[in-house]
Amino acid sequence: MSDPRRWARLLTVAIVLALVFNLMALVALIRATPIIFTLFMFVAQPLIVVALIILVGAVVAGLRARSMV
Amino acid sequence: MPLPHGWIGTTSQWIQGFGIALALLNVILLLVVWFRLRATGAASSMWGWLLVAVGLVPIMVGFMAFAHGLESSATVSACGSCHVMTPFVNDLRDVKSETLAATHFKNRFILENQCYTCHSDYGLGGTISAKLAGLGHVWRYTTGRYEVPIKIAQPYSNLRCLSCHGESQRFLNAPGKKEMMPELIGGQTPCLSCHGPAHPEQKKEARL
Repeated sequence: MSDPRRWARLLTVAIVLALVFNLMALVALIRATPIIFTLFMFVAQPLIVVALIILVGAVVAGLRARSMV
Repeated sequence: MPLPHGWIGTTSQWIQGFGIALALLNVILLLVVWFRLRATGAASSMWGWLLVAVGLVPIMVGFMAFAHGLESSATVSACGSCHVMTPFVNDLRDVKSETLAATHFKNRFILENQCYTCHSDYGLGGTISAKLAGLGHVWRYTTGRYEVPIKIAQPYSNLRCLSCHGESQRFLNAPGKKEMMPELIGGQTPCLSCHGPAHPEQKKEARL
């Protein structure tokens, strides 16, 4: 898992997930119907959690590769 | 109605505005980080940008969207967004209607969020159970697991009426009300048995 290119790809996935989260948040902020808000809670929020996990994983892997952790 | 001098909007409107601005900023930030990541291919040099774009700003956006959504889900228009509620909301807004809900609405006995105010218990527990019930409503509505005419899930609690009316002098000084208080608090005599109907009868109809 120390391959930087692999982490770069995973981070791209995290960025895409964060983009989807932001677009869903935008929709929820502009027109917050109960269905849109429920989708935001149960779809968008888990996406950003996954993106954060990938980001933390990448940072930890990067630090390990440099023998800092 | 004209707004007071120096009106700068409500807290909810500010949260919505900041949320939209932050979300748009975050989209731009994410696109910049994405292109830079593709160009350099090195993740470690982008950590600072990534932490801001994927971590910090989305958390702020999420907080604002959640706060705004929570606030918006209590409005009458949110309740009326499901077509099954349309007759009730139409009746609420009908100035000629004499139902209890319409009387409260047209006289502004409740200033805003009239559906939510009457159909949720007071305090944090009431808010949580109302929101959970709302999730159940969304689930049943989207999956079609409901029957028309819809019915209230549990008998309407008098305590919801008494939370506002119970301390009102007009209510307390009305003939017989003080004597009836134990019965009203205990729920043996529903307020709606004398002051109903709360809403119009919903016709049995095909679901759309």
